[in-house]
Amino acid sequence: MSEYWILAAILLPIFGGVLTLLIPFKNRKIMMCYLEIVMLTTSAIVWKLILNGTTEVFHIIHFVEDLSISFKIDSISMIFAGLVSLLWPLAVLYSFEYMEHEEREKIFFMFYSITYGITLGIAFASDLLSMYFFYELLTLSTVPLVLHTLKREAVLASRKYLYYSIGGAAFAMIGLVFVIIYGVTCEFQLGGVLDMALIGERKNLLLWVYLLAFMGFGVKAAIWPMGSWLPDAGVAPTPVTALLHAVAVVKAGVFAMIRLTYYSFGPSFLRGTWVQNVVMGFAMFTILYGCSMAVKETHLKRRLAYSTISNLSYIIFGITLMTPLGLAGALCHLICHAVMKINAFFCAGAFMQKTGKSYIYEMDGVGRKMPIVFGCFTVSALGLMGVPGLAGFISKWNLASAAVESMNVQAYFGIGCLLASALLTAIYMMNTVIHAFFPGKDFNYGTLAGVTDPSWKMCLPLLVFSISVAVLGIFSGPLVHFLREAAGV
Amino acid sequence: MVIGSMNDAIIMLAAICFPILFGAVILLMPEFSSRNRLLGAVGTGLLVTGILALLTLGSGEAGICLFSLGEKLEIFFRLDNLGRIFIVIVTIIWILAGFYSFEYMKHEKEEKRYFGFYLMTFGVLLALDLAGNIVTYYLFYEMMTLLSVPLVLHSKTREALMGGLKYLFYSLCGAYMVLMGLFFLNRYATTLTFTAGGTLNGELTAGNEKVLLVVVFFMILGFGVKAGMFPMHAWLPTAHPVAPAPASSVLSGLIVKAGVLGVIRTVYFLFGESFIRGTWVQTAWMTLSLITVFMGSMLAYREKIMKKRLAYSTVSQLSYILFGLALLQGEAMTGALLHVVFHAFIKSALFLSAGAIIYKTGRTNVDDMTGIGKEMPVTIWCYTFASLALIGIPPASGFISKWYLAEGALSSGTGIFTWLGPVVLLVSALLTAGYLLPITIKGFLPGADFDYGSLQKREPNLWMVIPLIVLALLSVVLGIFPNPLTEYIRTIVSTVL
Amino acid sequence: MDFIQNVPFFSIMISMFSGIVSSILSEKWAKRLNTAVILAVGVMSGALLIWLCRTGCGSYIFMMGHFPAPWGNEIRAGVLEAGMAMFFSIVMLLSMTGGRKKLFDEVEYSKHNIYYILVDMMLSSLLALIYTNDLFTAYVFVEINTIAACGLIMIRQNGRTIEAAVRYMIMSLLGSGLLLMGICMLYDLTGHLLMSNIQQAMADIMANGTYRIPMLVTVGIMTIGLAIKSALFPCHAWLPDAYGYATVSSAAMLSSLVSKGYIFLLIKIFYRVIGLDIIYSSHIIGILFIFGLCGMLFGSFSAIGEKDIRRMIAFSSVAQIGYIYMGFGLGTQEGMVASVYHILVHAATKSLLFISAIGLTEVSGGSRSFFALNGSGYRNRIAGVGFAVGSLSMVGIPSFSGFVSKLLFAKAAIINPTWKMFPTVIVLAISTILNAIYFLKTVIRIYTPESALVEEEKGYYGIRWNQQRLYTVTIILFVILNLILGMNSQPVIHLIETGLANFA
Repeated sequence: MSEYWILAAILLPIFGGVLTLLIPFKNRKIMMCYLEIVMLTTSAIVWKLILNGTTEVFHIIHFVEDLSISFKIDSISMIFAGLVSLLWPLAVLYSFEYMEHEEREKIFFMFYSITYGITLGIAFASDLLSMYFFYELLTLSTVPLVLHTLKREAVLASRKYLYYSIGGAAFAMIGLVFVIIYGVTCEFQLGGVLDMALIGERKNLLLWVYLLAFMGFGVKAAIWPMGSWLPDAGVAPTPVTALLHAVAVVKAGVFAMIRLTYYSFGPSFLRGTWVQNVVMGFAMFTILYGCSMAVKETHLKRRLAYSTISNLSYIIFGITLMTPLGLAGALCHLICHAVMKINAFFCAGAFMQKTGKSYIYEMDGVGRKMPIVFGCFTVSALGLMGVPGLAGFISKWNLASAAVESMNVQAYFGIGCLLASALLTAIYMMNTVIHAFFPGKDFNYGTLAGVTDPSWKMCLPLLVFSISVAVLGIFSGPLVHFLREAAGV
Repeated sequence: MVIGSMNDAIIMLAAICFPILFGAVILLMPEFSSRNRLLGAVGTGLLVTGILALLTLGSGEAGICLFSLGEKLEIFFRLDNLGRIFIVIVTIIWILAGFYSFEYMKHEKEEKRYFGFYLMTFGVLLALDLAGNIVTYYLFYEMMTLLSVPLVLHSKTREALMGGLKYLFYSLCGAYMVLMGLFFLNRYATTLTFTAGGTLNGELTAGNEKVLLVVVFFMILGFGVKAGMFPMHAWLPTAHPVAPAPASSVLSGLIVKAGVLGVIRTVYFLFGESFIRGTWVQTAWMTLSLITVFMGSMLAYREKIMKKRLAYSTVSQLSYILFGLALLQGEAMTGALLHVVFHAFIKSALFLSAGAIIYKTGRTNVDDMTGIGKEMPVTIWCYTFASLALIGIPPASGFISKWYLAEGALSSGTGIFTWLGPVVLLVSALLTAGYLLPITIKGFLPGADFDYGSLQKREPNLWMVIPLIVLALLSVVLGIFPNPLTEYIRTIVSTVL
Repeated sequence: MDFIQNVPFFSIMISMFSGIVSSILSEKWAKRLNTAVILAVGVMSGALLIWLCRTGCGSYIFMMGHFPAPWGNEIRAGVLEAGMAMFFSIVMLLSMTGGRKKLFDEVEYSKHNIYYILVDMMLSSLLALIYTNDLFTAYVFVEINTIAACGLIMIRQNGRTIEAAVRYMIMSLLGSGLLLMGICMLYDLTGHLLMSNIQQAMADIMANGTYRIPMLVTVGIMTIGLAIKSALFPCHAWLPDAYGYATVSSAAMLSSLVSKGYIFLLIKIFYRVIGLDIIYSSHIIGILFIFGLCGMLFGSFSAIGEKDIRRMIAFSSVAQIGYIYMGFGLGTQEGMVASVYHILVHAATKSLLFISAIGLTEVSGGSRSFFALNGSGYRNRIAGVGFAVGSLSMVGIPSFSGFVSKLLFAKAAIINPTWKMFPTVIVLAISTILNAIYFLKTVIRIYTPESALVEEEKGYYGIRWNQQRLYTVTIILFVILNLILGMNSQPVIHLIETGLANFA
């Protein structure tokens, strides 16, 4: 029976979203209630599924022969689905206030809701093909969100996003076909599904293919040099940037990489080969590249976007360790970064919406005027820096311990990259915080008249996220335990 | 998990939590109706914390594990003898500098924020001294950095903001180097709890010594950032002078010592001195600290802004301590720990007197201080006593510590450093005299053609003078009666060496 | 012999005769007759297909007038032929209905009659190409097809189309000339014109080892001839104008059916005339492979540079034909299956794109410029949806037909790891990106609303679905066809596999 619940979880937000466009709501409030109910119901279903535990494979549609759209719940789909199901309702709540002054909000909410369903589809997909299917749909359903403002730069950004994503998926598909042909099955299994007897002499070929597919999925995960769409896509409304370009979409890329590495090719096949060095090298470089660009950037949202690029590569670094502990570390950062970054983006959004400004040097003194928002922002900043007691430290700790444990010399340098990046993170985040709270000796607060904290709809998500950052940082035990179990430590 | 008596553990926690929470409450409260109320609250906070801290000292072997951030990431406090020394100096100086601030901060705005962070940092420092494992230490080390930044950039001038950021980034850079070491220790050590003699796991370590040596070097460098060790010293002369004087005094006197404590904990309590004895790490460490000793003094000598000069002096003096620790030798370590105590009192006194001069006259340049001794005799006398102690003129305190340091170096058997060390220390002492004493001399003996008519009495009031006097006295008296302290330190040293 | 076995012969004949009859009918009746014939052919082919599958006989040879070779003429029908015939008639029917409105705007009323005659002839020639078992018959119908196609291009009389038709004529005749030469040489070498006979003779010649080079030249000439006619890169110069300026029904049929007819003939020649082993061991296959790859890339590059939406879609055809030849070039059974599948996919998708593009340009003041299309997806919603679906299918989004053929190509390339594997998968990926660039750019543009002010100024208007019922139904049917091919591909693939197996 629980198979049909999976379908329900995926389809509910999709149809709910489409209905948003069709139902003539009397006023915004009713629409808000309606959407929030859809979101919460979906999340409730997701949690019911998660609590029920793992399931068998469930086939929906057959594309070709033995290739079908099918679903299954295993532990890492629980992690991803659980994560998005917690974030989505809050993000929708936030969007209500944020989108108040934007046009065409119905279309916005329609796609926002559809994307939820599709993301769940990625989480629950039981094989590479099904995941690929939702992966492509995710691109399509998010393009209208990037395009939302319809300004020239939005059009350009959405085109870029589209080309990059489709291109990445095209290369990922090569990997998909190879797994179909050289795999025992195409279903995900922890440890990989490749048929060693079939591969025989062609190991090197498969490694090349892995590299292609890895970089293909890497486009969504914004690995260098394919990440430049991400800062550009920041022209979208903040709820999109926050939820999709810091969590759902980019994490879908990372999630796909996990599926590819640990569940299809198998870490034991890849560990110690040249390809591991190459992909780890890319991850390490991206970590530093993202931070450096963030330091250089003066536009708040773009800075955060570059920070996302860097942090995503933390996760990728964990993946490329090719050890169970590495996977656990990667998953840990996947969760922690999601909460911290969505919080940071929401704060940035609140700032932009309330003041109409968007550059760091325009932020002088807003900390005093918007204490809740910038208090939360500071929490995120500290978390991203990896201050102990906050979420970022835990994930960094797990990642780095895994790196030490892997006994891989390159990984040791990777730790160096992590820490250098933490320092750069401190530079670009604290610089922002200090601008907000310490505007300089002769700052005239009169210029900020009328700037206040936003209403509860925006503040509630912020507070919830900030508290979760702290809670994750302090009581990480059960979570880390679960992640390790999921990773098969 | 509690070690020893429950009551002791609770007092310990109270000493840590009370000032942090109290400070946080002050920060979050709306503006006080009058300045006196604020001062009353802060004074109470300081005193209560002081009492709690002193009560902690009385307890026996006590420890408490609060909770775990994650597997192996326990927040664990334990009191040991080394911690006791640090607690004493922190408590004394913090309270004195706090009272000094009551007067000094009058001419600064936003006192509430200053005192809030001041109290919180107090608690964090106590927690650092009580930290029972490296994870806890690291946690509070980061917190200390973050909470002391607002003290540095208090005045919000461009200079202060830049100084604050520089301080922050250098400190974090150091902290991350330490964190790197933590990751490796997590794997190669049996436990992360501080244990005299080290906790490395012999089996795992075998074959990985090279990596671990790099790691320990990184950790020393990382903590060395806080202690102003070359090549990561540049933040110190920028950040310390821009803070309000009482803040500079605790920064220079105590917060930098957190770096020293970190080095001690790492080298003697985690890796174990035998692990690095005779390796390139020891050589590099000694070389860097000697370079810093000399360079710091030279830079101080060339510097004209008084507080900057004192900051450079801190750079130099801290490396005395680091050099003493690097020798991995009993006498030298005794000297180093003594110098920790002495330098804390001395440097605080010096900064407080510099603050008094700024507060009353607004002068910052050394050349403007001609005749200042006539105007503020008590202040300058205190300054002079502290200076003499720092230079190491017997019987003032600096002499004792330097004596032990030199003796330790001579009997350490570290090749060229056995004689190079003492020579550099001596040269540096001369330079110290060269940069500290001119103020006294010019201050009291402004010269024949000085216009005495412009002088006026500008002695600050008791809030400022008494802390100064107490600190100056301590710096001298401890030199005259060094034995109890020395004996106590010897017991610590004997456990680790 | 069952009655139903007469279906191939009947369908060719009724379409041919309906053409003749149409010349004396009025426009209206010609239209009805045309529709009825296409429908009838579709239904009959469907019935034949079902019969073939039911009885499991796979294929049979139909001798006209029961004269055996070499005097008689043979028709061969199998599941693949029947399926193709059915599919072609479906696409043709939809292309006709979708472009009907435009036909009235673009073509003189007095010429409509002729138009339907041409379409009837085209259908009969296509069916003949599909079913024939005789090379010379094939040649005859190739020529009929060319003439009909020229007429279809030219019927919209303006300078552009006449130029395009002339160009098409010249290139096409070059192609058919080469084909004819090839057939003559084959006849000379083997003494037969029936495919099955030639194949036997061919096998003997190859076994003897004589005439190897002439044989190769012959095959080469025939392949080149058909490649020119089906616009394989670099012989595609005639294509953009012909597809771009002809009236939309013609464009849709030309791109999705005519070129496919030739390709199907080429497949037949490969399988039934020359024999797969000989083809696969020659270099011809490698050359086709390389030109196929180049076509995939250069077709898309040209499309990216194109500002005229119709010409853009036309250039995209060059790329898609490149896919098909690339599949041949892989030289494996799987590659062939993928190619045949792509013939279907491309036919269904490309005609959808042409038909929906016309709806979009119509509501944009008739301008075909890419820049004028802003917001046209809102003004003509159904056309917008059609175009979006077609684009997504071409880009290869799962659940649309294009994805399946892409998957099949990739699998075919990988399952036999030769030097062709990596170029294939890489070019597939790159071509996907290129497709995305020009198709999705257009989709974004048609869904970027134009401001009301500009719309008013330029006199744009919206069209609702009830103002264009036939068009709407057409588009919906096309979309469904696409989705069926995308989501339920297994039966079709199975059909193709058995059909090809019967060929050999």
